[in-house]
Amino acid sequence: MSNFSVGFRTNGDVQVLDLKGELDAHTASELEAAIQRCQSENHCKIVVNGEGLMYISSAGLGVFMAYIEELREEGGDIKIAALQPKVYNVFDLLGFPMLFDIVETEEEAIARFRKEKEEGAEG
Amino acid sequence: MPAKWFAKSQTPALDSSERMRVRYILLGALWATCYVLAIGYHLLLWSAGEPASPTVTGVYHVVVLTSYGALWLLLAHLFQHRTPAPGRIFWTVLLLGILYVGLGYLVTRIPPVGLIGYSPETDLPLAPTAPFKVSLLALLKATFAFVLLLRFRDLVLVKRTKSSRRNWYLMIGFMGIAALSGFMKSPQEGVGLIQGLAIIPAVVFMVVNSFRLSWIVSLSFKGKMAISGIAFLLLILLSGMAGIDVESGGNFELVPGALQSVLYYSYPLAIFTGLAVYFGILYCTTAFLSLLFHLPTTGDYQRKVGEMATMHSLTHLVSQVFDPEKLFTTIAASPIEACSAQASWLTMPVLEEGAFRPRIVAAQSIEAERVEQLMDVRALFDEVRSTRAPLMLPQALADHRINARPGDGIGSLLVTPLLARDQVLGVLFATKEITHGFEPDDVEAISVFAAQAALALDNARLFEEQLEKERLTRELTIAREVQMKLLPQRLPVLPGVTLAASSVSALEVGGDYYDFVQLDENRLALIVGDVSGKGTSAAFYMAEMQGIFQSVSRLAPSPRDFLYHANVALADSLEKNVFISVIYGVLDLQKEEFVLARAGHCPAALIGLNGEARYLRSRGLGLGLDRGALFRKTLVEERVRLQPGDVFVLYTDGVVESRNEAGEEYGYDRLLEVLAANRHEDAPELHTALLKDLHAFMGSKEYDDDMTLVVLKWHGIEMGRAAAVESVPQTSPAAVDGRTPSETAMEPPPNLTK
Repeated sequence: MSNFSVGFRTNGDVQVLDLKGELDAHTASELEAAIQRCQSENHCKIVVNGEGLMYISSAGLGVFMAYIEELREEGGDIKIAALQPKVYNVFDLLGFPMLFDIVETEEEAIARFRKEKEEGAEG
Repeated sequence: MPAKWFAKSQTPALDSSERMRVRYILLGALWATCYVLAIGYHLLLWSAGEPASPTVTGVYHVVVLTSYGALWLLLAHLFQHRTPAPGRIFWTVLLLGILYVGLGYLVTRIPPVGLIGYSPETDLPLAPTAPFKVSLLALLKATFAFVLLLRFRDLVLVKRTKSSRRNWYLMIGFMGIAALSGFMKSPQEGVGLIQGLAIIPAVVFMVVNSFRLSWIVSLSFKGKMAISGIAFLLLILLSGMAGIDVESGGNFELVPGALQSVLYYSYPLAIFTGLAVYFGILYCTTAFLSLLFHLPTTGDYQRKVGEMATMHSLTHLVSQVFDPEKLFTTIAASPIEACSAQASWLTMPVLEEGAFRPRIVAAQSIEAERVEQLMDVRALFDEVRSTRAPLMLPQALADHRINARPGDGIGSLLVTPLLARDQVLGVLFATKEITHGFEPDDVEAISVFAAQAALALDNARLFEEQLEKERLTRELTIAREVQMKLLPQRLPVLPGVTLAASSVSALEVGGDYYDFVQLDENRLALIVGDVSGKGTSAAFYMAEMQGIFQSVSRLAPSPRDFLYHANVALADSLEKNVFISVIYGVLDLQKEEFVLARAGHCPAALIGLNGEARYLRSRGLGLGLDRGALFRKTLVEERVRLQPGDVFVLYTDGVVESRNEAGEEYGYDRLLEVLAANRHEDAPELHTALLKDLHAFMGSKEYDDDMTLVVLKWHGIEMGRAAAVESVPQTSPAAVDGRTPSETAMEPPPNLTK
C-alpha cells in the first residue's frame, strides 16, 4: 500500500538515504525510522537523495525538522540533494534552503561534508 | 407501603404459630392423660389381682391407642418441615436407635430384673413396678418407631409423585389396620390368620416404599460412602431390635424382653412398632445395597451434572457481553464445573513492547501470582497460540515449562485456546491434582465451552470497540464544531472591497486557518495559514494560531512585526516537527495599498484587471522553522498599490496540490489561468468558479488535504466614503465546510440561519 521507500547506502562516512515515492503524513514514520536508524548507528552525516521523491507534504518536511538539531549537535547534518523541481518548490516555499544545504547532486552534498570536515580539522 | 405489608403478613404468621403451640399443648395433654390412665389401669390390675371385665379392658386399649395416636400426631408435626438431607436423617435415626437401646436397657434393670413382670397365665402384673416398666418400654419403642417412620418418609418422598404419596399413606394405613387387627388379643396368642391377612398388604407397600431411593443419585462419592456406612450400622441395630424369633425364646434381642413387654402393654402397638422396625430394616437394606451399586457411577453422574451446569452458564455468557469482568470470571470458572478441575484461569493476549503477552484476567481456586510462580504461562500460551489446538500435559510436572513441585496441585494441565474468527482471543488453563486427570470427555466438554466462550469474548470486544468508536466520533464532532467557531462567522464589509472565503478539512478537524480582523476604519488584517500535518494535533495548533492572530494583529499589525511576534509566541509550544505556514496581509483603504508577508506559505495570487496574473512570492520562513534571529532577518514584506479590479487570492496547498484520478496536480499554472479567466467576476462568483473548476478537475476523487480559499477583490472607492465600514452578516461563502465546497460554499454558515 505504501508507495514510499527509503534505501540505505554509505559513501565514506556519509550515510545516503534514497527516497522514493511520496512522503506524506502516512509515510513520514518510515523516514523517521530511517533517520533514527542512522542515529543509532552513529551515522550523523546524512545525505538525502531526493531523485525518486515525487511528492512531499508538510508532515514529511516535519521529519527533517525533528532531527536536524540533534544531528547538528552531534557534529552531523542532513544535506538534501537532487530534488525534483516540484518537490524543491515545496522546500523553497517554506524557506528550507535557508535552513538546510539543498544541492543539485548527491556528489555535491558529499563534497560539502568533506569540505566541512577539512575546515573543521584546520580550525 | 412496606410497613403495611409487613404488618399484614405478620398477623397470620403469629396466628399459625400460636395455633401450633395450642395444638402441641392439647396433643401433649391428651397423650399424658391417656398415658397416666393406662398406668393406672395396670396398677389397678395388680392391686385387684384378677383380670378386669372385657368392657374395662376395651376402654383401656382405646385409651392406649388414643395416647399413641396423640404421640404420632405430635411427632408428625414436629418433623413436618425438616429438609430431607439423607445423611442427617440416617444419623439422627441411628443416634435415636442407640439412645432407645441404651434407655431400654436401663428400663429393663427395673426389678424384677430379667422378667417381664407379668404372669403368663393371667396376663396380670406380678409386681407394682411392672406396669411402669412395660409402659416406659412401650413409650421408648413407639417413639423410636414413629420417628423412624416419619424421618424415612422424607427420604421416600424426595421425588414426590401422586403414586409415591399414595403408596406411603397406604403403607401407614395398612400398618394401622394390621395393628388394629390385634385389638383385645391376649399377649399369649400368636399371630393369627386375621393378623396375617392384615399384615400382607402392609408388607407389600413396605417393600414398594423401600425402593424409593432417588435421593441416592445426587449424592457425592463421599456422601454415598458415609451414608452406606450409617445405613449398615442402622441395619444391624434394627435387626438386633427386632430379634429373630421371639416365640422360641433365648434369642438375641438388644433390649431384652422389649417385644413381650409391649405385647403386654398393647398388642396393636406391638404390631405397629414391629412393622415399623421391619420397614426400617427393609429400607436400610435397599438403601445400603443401592448406595454400594451407585458408588462406581458417581463420577459420571457428577460430570454430567457439571456439564449441564456449564451448558447452562453458556447461555449466561451471551448476557455478560456487556460486563467483561463477569464474563472472564464465568469463563475461568467453567473447567471446574465442567470437568471438576481443581483450578483454572483465563489468559488474554495483551500487546506489550510489540509482542503479545498473556495476562491472567480471571482465576478460580488459585491466585494469578501463584500461577506465574508455578509455570511459564507465556511459553504455554505461545504454543497454544501457534498450534491453535488444546494442549494436554497428562504429567504436568515432567514438562520443562512447569516449575511446580509435587504437592502444588498441578498433576495434569489442560490448555485450551479460545478461537473466534481465526484469532486466539484467549487461552483457558485447567489443572487437576492427579496425573492423567483429564479424560477425552473433559477435553471435549471444555472445547465445546471454549468455542462459545470465544464467541462471547469476541462479541464483548466488538461491543467495546463500537462504544469506543462512537465515543471518538462524538468527540470529533464536538471538536469539529468548536473548530468551526474559530473561523470567522461573518465576513467584514468594507467599502470598495468584496470578499469570499471557504475552508474544508480532509478529516473531521484540520490545520487550515483563515481569519480577518478589522484594525480600524480603513484597515483590515487578514490571514491564511496551514499547520503541518493533519487531524487533531494540527487542529490544536490552528486554534493557537487563531488566538495569536486575534490578539497580536491588533497590537502589531504590520506584517513583519506580526509574523515576528507570532513566531516567538509559537516557538515554545510547537513540536520540533511541526511548523505553520502563514500568509498575512493588511489592506489599507486610505493608502490604497495591500502590504503582505509570506511565512513559508503558498504565494498569494494577484490578478489585475488587464489579465496580468502573478504570484507574490516574497521571502520568508515558515513559523516554527527557526526560533532565532534568522526568521526576522529573512522575512520580506511585499507592498502592492491597489488598482481597481485587482483580485488577491490566498489559499492553502490543498488547492494547488489537489490531484485528479490520474495523479496529476492542479498546480500553480492552472490556478492562475482560471483566476485570470474569471477576473471580471466579483469575489463570491470568482470563488465559486474556482472551486467548480477544481471540482471538475478532481472528478470523483475525495479531498485528501485540508483546503482553504480566500478571494479579495478591490473595486476602488471614492474618497470620503471610506469611513463607512461596518460588519454585516456574511452573504458570501465563509467558514463553510463539507465534502462539496462548490455547493455548500454558497450557503451562509449554519449558526446564521437559526
